[in-house]
Formats: sequence, structure tokens, C-alpha cells
Amino acid sequence: MANVELRAVDKSFGRVDVIRNVNLDIRDGEFVVFVGPSGCGKSTLLRLVAGLEDLTDGEIHIDGQRVDHLAPSRRGVAMVFQSYALYPHFTVRENMGYALRVAGEDKAEIARKVEAAADVLQLTEYLDRKPKALSGGQRQRVAIGRAIVRDPKVFLFDEPLSNLDAKLRVQMRIELTKLHGKLGATMIYVTHDQVEAMTMADKIVVLRDGVVEQVGPPLELYNRPANLFVAGFIGSPAMNMFEGSVVEAGADGLVLDLPGVGRLSWPASGTLKAGDKVHFGIRPEHFIREGEPDGKVAGEVYAAERLGGETYIYLNTENGSEVTVHASGDWAARPGDRLEAGFMLENAHLFGPDGQAVPGREG
Amino acid sequence: MEAVDFERAKAIRQRNLRLWLAFLLAPPALVLIIFVFIPMVSAVLYSLYEWDGLARGEFIGLRNFYDILFGPRLSAELFNAFWNNVKVFVTLMIVQNGYALVLAMLLARNPRGYRFYQVVFFLPVILSTVIIGFQWKLFLNPVFGLVNKALIYFGLSDWALPWLGLPETALPAMLLVNSWHWFGFPTLVFLAAIHRIPTDFIEAARLDGASEWRIAREIIWPLMAPAVTIIVVLTFIGSFNWFEIPYIMNGLEGSPEGSTDMLGLLFYRTAFGSVSVGTSDFGHGSALAVLMFIFIFVFSILATKYLTSREVEMS
Repeated sequence: MANVELRAVDKSFGRVDVIRNVNLDIRDGEFVVFVGPSGCGKSTLLRLVAGLEDLTDGEIHIDGQRVDHLAPSRRGVAMVFQSYALYPHFTVRENMGYALRVAGEDKAEIARKVEAAADVLQLTEYLDRKPKALSGGQRQRVAIGRAIVRDPKVFLFDEPLSNLDAKLRVQMRIELTKLHGKLGATMIYVTHDQVEAMTMADKIVVLRDGVVEQVGPPLELYNRPANLFVAGFIGSPAMNMFEGSVVEAGADGLVLDLPGVGRLSWPASGTLKAGDKVHFGIRPEHFIREGEPDGKVAGEVYAAERLGGETYIYLNTENGSEVTVHASGDWAARPGDRLEAGFMLENAHLFGPDGQAVPGREG
Repeated sequence: MEAVDFERAKAIRQRNLRLWLAFLLAPPALVLIIFVFIPMVSAVLYSLYEWDGLARGEFIGLRNFYDILFGPRLSAELFNAFWNNVKVFVTLMIVQNGYALVLAMLLARNPRGYRFYQVVFFLPVILSTVIIGFQWKLFLNPVFGLVNKALIYFGLSDWALPWLGLPETALPAMLLVNSWHWFGFPTLVFLAAIHRIPTDFIEAARLDGASEWRIAREIIWPLMAPAVTIIVVLTFIGSFNWFEIPYIMNGLEGSPEGSTDMLGLLFYRTAFGSVSVGTSDFGHGSALAVLMFIFIFVFSILATKYLTSREVEMS
């Protein structure tokens, strides 16, 4: 078990900068998820930690020791690949024990470790099968088992669930979380699926174009996104955004003019001044239809998806912007209906002209 | 009414499909029949008769086969030539294909100039065997050949031998020429096979701590089994049909002292005649051709079956 530190890490492929000045502290036993859109550099960052790619600049430390000059096998890491990367000509037992065999461990000791890991992962009855004879979920477990038997300091997962069907993905998600609880190991997990990130992570690292946009616990990212990108990326369906401007800026707050929403008072000003362009955000699930809201969005329903326990209502506001409302199952709406959805300012988000979050009442 | 139309349309569609398939298959089938099956059957028939020059004599059953396998002159030549073909196969497997495997492993690491090397290594393959044989015969000439001149220039006069004139060196020299001519082909096949192996397997093995040698031996080699099957079988067929290089470089007699005699040369001499055996003898020649065909066919099938059983699906 170990902490992982990334110091000013850069990675370029030719002239293309893929990772730019990434600094990161991962504590011992933490489950950290790298998340971001395709091509953001999350897998490259993981491969840099694994040693499968060389750094262009910077340092990587694992358990206090600088490792970026070491071969992958000497870093104390084990990796689970998206494709599982199980050797097709080896049995499950041989796959799981390969690293130990390479390390020259005693045969009896290899057998003991492999069987112990197989027991944890419920693979005992498949030990003498070849990977071809296993289902996707079983292969996934073998790949995890191969990592476990090495007893690494850090587990690395590169989109390990993306080849599984939806049901199995949910099941494996829970199993991985349980496994993390049982092993207490440091785990770094790459995914583009924000549900995986939100449900599994102790800490999420959001990446865009090789730059870390925000690091924090899942709910912190959800409740206090640092910028427009994180606000749009975390949460499903995505946060509704209204483009507007600052009308007045004073010591006790701002007055905003937001087409589609109207005029609103924002309780803190930050460094904004009158005339600045802003983005005002409300998550679909934060609309209400009762009580006394701080503001309202009105529009015509153009689609409604009733899923039983919940309803997704899609509106066109008068100024043409599209709004998604995530409502309870009993909120009936049909295309063509006119609908008003209220919101509270404490659930709203404001972003300045630079895309950075403007602090609200809580600061 | 509708059902009748439907049946008729279906019948027309199937007839058209059959006609189209026949149209596509007829030309290659015709070529196969004319140039493969008819000569094969003719060879079998010829081998069962006595021949006097171009005139067919009596039906003699398997007598020609007996003469070849057990007759005093032909059997000695047959086993000498067969043994030489075995040497050719083993040497080409080790030298030509071994070298190709090493090169493919090196090229698979994408060294600088990868494309250039790929083209350069493949260039000799596209050259005519006749030209290569003749050119190397000149290079290996003991008096004015480039090889001996180079050896003398570098102070290795003792090594300047009549390469094609000594029984000990003639066959090895020809095999080196053949390897130089063909090594680009197995290199490309092996390289394609290595590229087919997902990089994840190699990276997983690196993370497992395997050395490059161990990765090559335990991960890459077993997973390139399909390419190995192709190359082993093609080398086997090529080795036992080897003709052009020995014929061009040292003639039909397999000189010196039969050291470069091959089944192909023996067949040619027997069937079409030469200085040593005189007139043509279609009967013994055809029997030899039939025996060569059976041997190569059976061993190729067995080798393919065995090697294919070692292959594993990649996922």
C-alpha cells in the first residue's frame, strides 16, 4: 500500500502535448478515478504511472520513492487493462501466476497465492480453463486476480468495465468497490463513465486536454464545480446553462440579466463588474414545482420521457434555449404544454467570463 | 396467385445466383483441370508404362517405382538427393527463417528507418531467381569473383575457396544465396504476425516483469503460430522442390560429386535426359515425380495439422 505523487508531469508525443503540468497527491489506500472525455489524456496519465510510457518532464513517486526511471515491473504497480490482456495460450492459473513465475517464486507458493486470489474472486472452478472459455465478467475477474497475486503497492485500472454489458458493469462496479474495501489498497481507475467515477471514487480527477480541471471528492465536484467544463461534465443529464450578463455589481451582490430566466440577484460578486458575460447553471434535478422559488424558467415542452419513478421533461424557452428538467414520476407533462420550473439560488451555479465559478452565498 | 409469383421469383433468383457462381468459378476450375489435374493423372499413367524415348511401351505396373526405390543406380541417386533436400529444409529453417524471425522481432520495435528496412529486406524477393543465381555464380567465381577478391583484400586469402567447386562448400554457398534471396518473405510474414498480437499482451508481460527475451519466447512466439505454420509448410514444399538455384549455379548433375543434387534435378535428368543419363526416360521420371508429390503432399498435410493444433485464438 502506498501513496502516489505526480510532480509537474508532462508528456508529449512529437509536437503534441498530451499531459501538461499535472500535479497530484494520491493518499495511501485511496480510490482515485481519472475521468474526462475521449482524448483528454487520462489513459496516458495512468500509463505514465505504470511505466508503459516515459515522462517528457516531471517526477512520479510511489511510496516515497521516485519511480519514473524504473521499469514497469519494478514500480510495485499492477494494471488491469481494458481488453483484460489475458494471455490466450495460458490457463487462468498460468495467467494469474505468470508474474510470480517470472519472479522465480516457489511453485507451491505460486499455487497458494493463485488459489487464494481465485477464492476471493470466485474463480476456483475456472483455474484450469483458457480465457477463451470464460465469459466477459469472468475474464475481468481473472485480470483483477492477476493483479492481486502480485500484491502490488498500487492497482491501476484502465477502463476495465467498458467491454461489459450494462448489467454486468453495475455488478462489477460493486464488486470492485467491495474489493477495494477488503484490500485497502491504493487504486487508480480510468473511466469516461461519470457514473463509475461518482459511485466508486474517494477522489475524482477531472481532465481536459491533458490538464487537471478539478480534483476532489465526487459530491464536491457535483455541488461545487470549479469551472464550466466540470459543471457540464459531472452530472447526467448535463447541467442547464443560461448565457447572460451582469447588469449591476455591488458590495452585496450582482444583478444578472439572463435571457430565458429573467433578472436575478446573485448574493456575491467576486471580481465581476457590470457588463461581464456570465453563465448561469441549474442542474435538471434541482428544478422544483412547489414552494417559493428564487427564480423560474418557463417554456414549451417538446418532449417528455416518463420512466415511472422519474420523468425527464425537455423545454424550449422563449429565447430558444433548451432546458432539461429531471422531475419526479408524478410530474406529468406532454409535448405542447407550457411549463414553469422553479429553482433555488442555493442550488444554482454562476461562472464568470473566464469560465471559473463565481462564489455564491456560502463562498 | 401471389404465392405462385413468389415461388417463381425465388427460383429465378436462385438460378441467377448459380449462373453467377458458375461464371466466377469456371475459369479457375478450367485452369486447375488443364494445368494441375490432367498433368497429375498423366504422370501417374506414364509412371505405369515402359518408355523408349518419346514412345510409350508396355504397361509394367509399379516396376518404375521399384527401380527408383530399390534399383542399384537410381535408388542411390534418389537417397543422396533426398538427403540433400533434407539438409536444404533444415538449413533454410534455421538460417533463412531464423534470421527472418530475429529481423521481424527487431522491426516490430519500430526502429528508426523501419519502412526503409522493410523495403530493402523485401527487395531480393522480387528479383528473378535466374538473375540472382547467375549473379551469385559470378560473385563466387574462384578467379574473378567478388567474394574471393573481397576476402583477399581483407587479408583472408586462406578463406578464398572455389566455393561452388568443393563438395563441402557448394551446398552451403547455394543455401546462403537462397536465404539472401528469400529471407524478406518470412520476415514480412512474421512481422505481420507480431503486429497482429495486441500490444496489451506485451505490456502486461512487461508489468509482470518478463524480460524481452522471455516475452519473445513465452508470449510472442506461441501467438505467432499461424505465421510459423505457413512458413514451415512453404519452406518444406520449397525445399523439396528446390531446383532453380542449384540448376543455375552448378548445373543438372548436382556437382561436385552429387553434393548439390536435389530430387528436382534428379527428376529433370531422368525424365528429360542429360549428359550423364543419356536419353529421356518418362517412365522413371514420372514415377519419381509421383513419389515426390505423395511425400510432399502427405508431410505438408501432417505438418499443417500438427502446427495448426498449436495455434490459439487471440481473444
